[in-house]
Amino acid sequence: MSRQAGRGTEAKKVSAELFTLTYGALVAQLIKDYESDEEVNKQLDKMGYNIGVRLIEDFLARSSVGRCHDFRETADVIAKVGFKMFLGITPTVANWSPSGDEFSLIVDNNPLTEFVELPDGHQNLNYSNLLGGVLRGSLEMVQMEVDVTFLQDALKGDSTTEIRLKFIRRLEDALPAGEE
Amino acid sequence: MTGQRSSKMAVCVAVISKENYPLYIQTIPTEDDLKFHYTVHTSLDVVEEKINNVGKTTNDLRELYLGLLYPTEDYKVYGYVTNTKIKFVVVVESSNTALRDNEIRTMFRKLHNAYTDLVCNPFYTPGDRITSRVFEKVVNAMMLQDS
Repeated sequence: MSRQAGRGTEAKKVSAELFTLTYGALVAQLIKDYESDEEVNKQLDKMGYNIGVRLIEDFLARSSVGRCHDFRETADVIAKVGFKMFLGITPTVANWSPSGDEFSLIVDNNPLTEFVELPDGHQNLNYSNLLGGVLRGSLEMVQMEVDVTFLQDALKGDSTTEIRLKFIRRLEDALPAGEE
Repeated sequence: MTGQRSSKMAVCVAVISKENYPLYIQTIPTEDDLKFHYTVHTSLDVVEEKINNVGKTTNDLRELYLGLLYPTEDYKVYGYVTNTKIKFVVVVESSNTALRDNEIRTMFRKLHNAYTDLVCNPFYTPGDRITSRVFEKVVNAMMLQDS
């Protein structure tokens, strides 16, 4: 019996509902602990960032996509491969800025927000902010600094959820001190 | 506007917690709220009786749908209990003979599904009063169905 090389191509299946409920419990607990929506948004972003920097390794190992040549390619890979692999959905890439360094991901049915209704009094809460952090963290690991914002949020009454990614700059690998 | 009452489905829908306090009561606006609150409250006794009865007599799994709890001269009251002791009570008009048992069962199934979705909302604590707009929509669809 041979061990499968790498992690194999099939992801182990976990119930989608368990995932949604886990994320929901996480956000609810954060709200209880921090009380302020802004603080919770920040924490979600930080947690997402930590997930992103690790997730990118898993993604690159499993998907075998090469280096992206431009930002457009990056956008397509994120939407069609990344989101598909981890969340099972394929958001649409849209609203490119004229300079080609900003685009939007339109997410129609976000698995994180199934069954969720935002309570009154928490209108500033970015429930899916973890996703923003994940995108930021994973792109930073491939030398791209991006800024992620939520333009529309289905939970807040908009028709869909729109995530805006803006390319800031390419990150040069920082050489450790003392080396050339 | 003529009173096309026979085309309506339910006149009152209530959700009751396992501690027997109401989580949600919705009545059609033209009727007197209090009368229905009373009707639902008294029907709880019948529900309790039905739950306790089946446990003693048979080994069969109790069905969730309890059926007609009791008829008054104007209304018929139906009940449904989940395995977590959440009770749903639906009151329909006696004159509404068009309503069949199957349709009542379907109503309860929809209610149960709506309740399950509600409980999956991380911001809803089981035992709280129900304020979810999505749940209200499901109930309203059940109450005012003009064919």
